[in-house]
Amino acid sequence: MNKSFARELYLIFHDEGILIFFIVVPLLYPLIYSFIYTDEVVRDVPVCVVDESHSVESRKFIRLVDATADVKVVAYASDQHEAQKLRRERKTYGYICIPSDFGDLITHGEQAHIGVFTDMSGMLYYKAIVMASTNASLEMNADIKLSRSETTTAEQDKATVSPIRYDEVALFNPQGGFAAFLIPAVLMLILHQTMLLGVGMSAGTRREQRQQRIAAGMHEVHRSLFKALRDALHRTWGRCFAYIVVFIPVSAYVLSVVPRIFNLVQIGSFPDVAMLMLPFLLAVVFFAETISHLVTRRETIILLIVFTSVPLLFLSGVSWPGCALPPFWHHFAMFFPSTFGINAFVKINTCGASLAEVRTEYISLWIQAGAYFVMCVYLTLWEKSREYRQEIAWFEEPDL
Amino acid sequence: MRTLLHVVLRELYRISSKREYWFSMLVAPLVCVFFFTSIMDEGLPHDMPIGIVDQDCTPTSRNLVRNLNSFEHIKIAEAYPNVTEARKATQRGDIYGFYFIPKGTTKKANRQESPVVSFYTNYTFIVAGSLLYKDMRTMSELASGAAGRKVLYARGASEKGALGFLQPIVIDSHAIGNPTLNYSIYLSNTLIPGVLMLFIFMVTVYSMGAEIKESTGEALLRAAGDNPLRALYGKLIAHALIWIGIGAIYVFYLYGVLLYPCYCGIPTMLGVMALGVFAAQGMGTLMICALPSPRLGLSFASLWGVISFSISGMSFPVMAMHPILQSLAWLFPLRHYFLLYVNCALDGFPIINAWPYVIALLAFALLPALLPTRFRNIMTKIAYKQ
Repeated sequence: MNKSFARELYLIFHDEGILIFFIVVPLLYPLIYSFIYTDEVVRDVPVCVVDESHSVESRKFIRLVDATADVKVVAYASDQHEAQKLRRERKTYGYICIPSDFGDLITHGEQAHIGVFTDMSGMLYYKAIVMASTNASLEMNADIKLSRSETTTAEQDKATVSPIRYDEVALFNPQGGFAAFLIPAVLMLILHQTMLLGVGMSAGTRREQRQQRIAAGMHEVHRSLFKALRDALHRTWGRCFAYIVVFIPVSAYVLSVVPRIFNLVQIGSFPDVAMLMLPFLLAVVFFAETISHLVTRRETIILLIVFTSVPLLFLSGVSWPGCALPPFWHHFAMFFPSTFGINAFVKINTCGASLAEVRTEYISLWIQAGAYFVMCVYLTLWEKSREYRQEIAWFEEPDL
Repeated sequence: MRTLLHVVLRELYRISSKREYWFSMLVAPLVCVFFFTSIMDEGLPHDMPIGIVDQDCTPTSRNLVRNLNSFEHIKIAEAYPNVTEARKATQRGDIYGFYFIPKGTTKKANRQESPVVSFYTNYTFIVAGSLLYKDMRTMSELASGAAGRKVLYARGASEKGALGFLQPIVIDSHAIGNPTLNYSIYLSNTLIPGVLMLFIFMVTVYSMGAEIKESTGEALLRAAGDNPLRALYGKLIAHALIWIGIGAIYVFYLYGVLLYPCYCGIPTMLGVMALGVFAAQGMGTLMICALPSPRLGLSFASLWGVISFSISGMSFPVMAMHPILQSLAWLFPLRHYFLLYVNCALDGFPIINAWPYVIALLAFALLPALLPTRFRNIMTKIAYKQ
């Protein structure tokens, strides 16, 4: 046990391929991602205005829209064709059309409509432009209502403008930002993926080396199957333990230092996160050992694992609401430690839940850890006994 | 010509004889096409669970709750006695938000004392949060409007007059190209090509790395009549045949079967896809030439491929990123593919309108033509280190 633990630690730190996944990627990737999303929201989306009304009201509306943080009026067009041309040149991401009867209708006390046309290459453009126009219209509506009613006191004004008022509260991500939403999930996913990649690469290397030893006629033969299996299991413990030991400081950096550097929401209690990491790392390491039985070559694991990052993020229910996942994918997601790990971490770290409140995920992670542990023991024994039979066969027929 | 054909066939044989290629050129890309389009096939998530804290308990408040429940995205999952309980349920993830009607709301509304209701949305899940916010805010405006309308009708206002008073300005929003705000149209159109490009990077690197690792580089050059450019292009052509096949399946499935908006017609999108494939292959060649070791080359390919998703600006706009990143975005083929897709398929502008991105993709595609000497070196002089 101790020997294989030390040996694996030595291997990790003397293999640049594994070192990349265990140290370099967890160190740099979170920084790159946080840097990309660090501005959180999109500001001053350029829009164009087609003002056919040329009235006091229309100009006021444009001023109010321009004054919002989300949108910036960068051009005035004489008609929709011109506005469309600006959009085609990607100088604006939408346009606001104020029809010619806008001012008249308001004066007559009738409803007036404003058309808002938005680029759909990004949902955030749509959100920014529609929000800005809606807010401007609500503000103007309030003023128009007041000017038409014969109220005298401030209390009456309030009741006229909005008979029922409302407060909106954005929980746990007050600015509705992208980094605060995506980064916590990505951080856990990075730990998950780098573990799978590093463990898989190490397993691929072992199998390649064994093939080379066999090719060179240097394979060792165990005296008994029992000893062979015992050795194999000892090595598996040693390895898994070594990976976890390496991942403890790495996780501490990824989950607690990175959010601090980029001022992300971090309201969870540290002991709860630490308690969560115990089953998470165990589940991931045994899952990685299980998966690594699929690879026979050093590089294969990269082809197998890297592309799963985006699908896993979707399966976790963070970027796409979990309740909207089709049932098949919802059940499929339960095979991956990332699903429960990400959810539990987001709830603890970003929403401030306690460990008791994420018990579903917590228990699921322990179940996964147990199930993958059994799987990985079974696969190790199966592989070893197959190898043992081969070795015996070679041993008995040395001429072959 | 015959030697080129020889290299192509040699490469096709190599591809067909290894599981890794079957997986990453056929199985995984097709699974991803199916995965992304099926996971978001609702377009927008419906019936997301929210909680309700109704401390008023009057016919009016119950009516408000019923109306709220009839909204497209909302399903009232549970009623909570107070805000603390609802907040805890939000933290547990049982609900994505909740609506709070305090005691005395109806009474105050009837007495024109302007009561305050409130709604809480969990923006940790931004898609769910934004949609619920929109619905709950609309509901609050409607509730306020309904209360105001009661008073106006009582004073004898006509329906038209009441509407003109309650909501003088109405915003009609038009989402160009994707009127239902379908998330699958918004995301699948770039995520799937992104996965495809990731695989192209990796397979290009892997296949050349395999020649180094197995020391078959010399044999490859011999097969190509000692012409490194021919050897390189032979390999790339063999891959391109498969990638373009997968790309075509993707294009036909999205625009022909699922009928996602494609104003430019399917042939143009096939062309854009082919351009994207060549560009990714060019980038992949550059990666292995820069880092001629399978594992380093593959790490580079993974890094570039995975960052592509973020830096392409498909979800978070490039214009909101740091200026350094805005310039770096030019180095990612997916960014140009995304802009071409938006220009041609989503907006229906002629492709000439987006010529800089076509040029950029062509430049990536032509990269291998600059690298024959380097390719010969890595094929013959570099030995694989364990």
